[in-house]
Amino acid sequence: MLKFYRSLTASGKIAIAVIVAISALGIFSEWISVHPYNLPSGKALQPPGASHWLGTDDLGIDLWAQICHGARLSLLVGICTAILAGIGGCLTGMFSGYKGGLTDRIIMRITDVMIILPDLPMMIVLGAFFGPSLMNIIIVLAFFSWTAPARITRAKILSMKQENYIDAARSYGAGFFHLALKHFLPGMLPIAVVSIIRLTGRAIVAEASLSFLGLGDPTSKSWGLILNHAINFRGIYFTDFWKWWITAPLVAIIILVSTIAVLARESEKIVSSKQLMTS
Amino acid sequence: MDQIVFKFKITVLIANAFLVLAVFSHVGLAGDSSVKTETESRPARANPLIISLEGGDIGYPTPYNHYPRGPGLYKMCLIFDSLLERSEKGHVPWLAEKWKISGDGKTFTFKLRKNVKWHDGNMLTSDDVKFSFQYLEKNPPVFDDLSIDGKSIIEKIDIIDTHTIRIRISRPSATFLNKAGRTRIIPKHIWEKVEDPKKFNDPRAVIGCGPYMLKAYNKEQGSYQFVAFRDYWGQKPLVDILQFVPVSDPILAFHAGEIDLAEVAPDLLSRFVGNPEFKIIQNPAFWGYRLIFNLDKRQEFKDKNLRQAFAHAIDKDELIEKVARGAAVPGSGGYLPPDHIWYNKDVKEYNFDINKAKALLRNRTLSFSLTIANTRDEIRIAELIKMSLAKAGVEITIKSVDMKTRDAAVKKGNYEIAVNGHGGFGNDPDMLRTVYSSTRTFDHSPISDSIPGYINPQINGLCEKQSIEMNEMKRKQIIFELQEVIAEEIPQIPLYYTRKYVVYRPSKYDGWKYMFDHHEVTHNKLSYLTKNEGF
Repeated sequence: MLKFYRSLTASGKIAIAVIVAISALGIFSEWISVHPYNLPSGKALQPPGASHWLGTDDLGIDLWAQICHGARLSLLVGICTAILAGIGGCLTGMFSGYKGGLTDRIIMRITDVMIILPDLPMMIVLGAFFGPSLMNIIIVLAFFSWTAPARITRAKILSMKQENYIDAARSYGAGFFHLALKHFLPGMLPIAVVSIIRLTGRAIVAEASLSFLGLGDPTSKSWGLILNHAINFRGIYFTDFWKWWITAPLVAIIILVSTIAVLARESEKIVSSKQLMTS
Repeated sequence: MDQIVFKFKITVLIANAFLVLAVFSHVGLAGDSSVKTETESRPARANPLIISLEGGDIGYPTPYNHYPRGPGLYKMCLIFDSLLERSEKGHVPWLAEKWKISGDGKTFTFKLRKNVKWHDGNMLTSDDVKFSFQYLEKNPPVFDDLSIDGKSIIEKIDIIDTHTIRIRISRPSATFLNKAGRTRIIPKHIWEKVEDPKKFNDPRAVIGCGPYMLKAYNKEQGSYQFVAFRDYWGQKPLVDILQFVPVSDPILAFHAGEIDLAEVAPDLLSRFVGNPEFKIIQNPAFWGYRLIFNLDKRQEFKDKNLRQAFAHAIDKDELIEKVARGAAVPGSGGYLPPDHIWYNKDVKEYNFDINKAKALLRNRTLSFSLTIANTRDEIRIAELIKMSLAKAGVEITIKSVDMKTRDAAVKKGNYEIAVNGHGGFGNDPDMLRTVYSSTRTFDHSPISDSIPGYINPQINGLCEKQSIEMNEMKRKQIIFELQEVIAEEIPQIPLYYTRKYVVYRPSKYDGWKYMFDHHEVTHNKLSYLTKNEGF
């Protein structure tokens, strides 16, 4: 872990710092924000000031508190989705690559279909169908994100299968589970981590878009939902309210997603340079 | 360089001249039209007057296929006329020129106008009127004005001559004239062959005798185009083409001139106030939100104390300040809003008092689910209600669904508590009977959503009494008493009635008028017709 941190460039280190800070914001939101995130603590639509750092929304709820709490939700959705899709995708890819033949062809055709399906419209339909709750959103997002890690791991497994040490292990009678645990998993962990980091960023944006479109849980306080409430406020752009009510969640989303993108790029670089060295 | 500037100036001058001309021509037509209503020859005007309003699909405008909400009903009413119409002052003669009510209040004789043409050129006779009443009785339309508790009270319809009709009802009714007056008249020669009116969707289904004809309808875009009916019997249509167009943001569209009238959020009023280009009007408080309890689903609500606790635990002023941004008046426990002609201001008031609510709850902890439509206002109302009820010890889970799902859930009684927003709070107070005295909802309209499982003999008795009281003053007294009983019992909680602001450009069109009991100028047929001094 430390080695990984050392091999990062400056921008990668900054990205890690920002993500740690945002996570801290989410985890310790109750202690960081003075005001509650779910109860009015001032007048409606107050501009940013000493008491309310980012102002208040139309119900008089402190926006800073909502942003802190929203960080928790965004990270939760992002990480849960990424892990769910990452693990599911990697396992499917591994299985498909190892088995080969008909199984491989069937699984790969399914991923082809999933890749062709336009995911945002499908997510909107499914989101509307299953009803708005955080759990449903995570499942729907994961359902549309497992194909990328599946394809990458499959390719990796196909090349690993040709290696001599795998052949040797097999000749001693090693089965799929043994191989998977002892050889495949350690071998593909780096690329799996990279794709999970990528998925996190994607999932956060997707959750924000769904909430923004009004398909999120309307009573949660995710960033996308703060945006949704702000945009649905009649004529917000003709008033001054957008300056804090729209800007705050928007900036929060942009910061988090771009730092995750930087981190993903950095880790990808490290992984590919390592692989170059080993091969 | 100078030449270019000069050319530019000339262009601006010419453009301005045209603008001034256009403005003046419209003012001339829209304003003092009463004097020359008849002499005004419409086709002489070079440019037809096109009024565009905010669209949205609300169904095919026949009496059977529009969505059961105001914008659907009133689009249908542009095509189909009725015996009476509603002006700013009250009911006015429309297809019926005159009428007579017998002493016992059971026989109504209507004298019809003679020169009424259907859009396809046929003439309207008393045959059509008799047929309409019978057909609508047999196949209740979306907004069913004729039946009472799902039953018709019409006993017999006699045709006296081609333009006189007599209707006899089985018992005296204080509201029958209005109900009959609102009933749409449909052409017999078209509808007599129609077996299933809900499936009748071809262009002949929108042939009526009203001032406008449907020219185009696009369900996907939610757009409608109505054109004036040249052979209309009555006041001539001033607006040649009335269209409902899809817009994303009404105020932006209004600024861009895409629509000619828009609702203004209270926060944006300062942009329009004091500018002579715009005129702002404020709707009367006939559109409101109410919180309905389902006593069938949750027996606890049969306890009056619990309902009163809810009433004390909801801060209506906060809802108005934060959700309606001040443009509303608090709900009256007696249901009828302050702008209603028979509003009783002395009904019991439930001030916001958490301690009183707690005392009434007697330390019980309860949890309920609250069904709402996923519109901005209802979500915010639900959140605020949830917060303040939590302080009193009641836990609320919000179930937010789309509007049509919520409407259906309320109709079927598929909820524990629901918020529903609708118009019609200015209607005849007989609506108190449909809301508080029936245990079942018969009509498709949200106005008549009853309170499932609520039965109160005293309220039922008063509702029955007012419905047959023919003396207006006596009936008013009963309605006042009824409001007091309802407010004390509080079987549901009227939250607030909106008083929204509407802006338009008087230079383009200045004919907008309210109906005496309705909140919206664009719903009023008379808004689009030449003025009649009589009403």
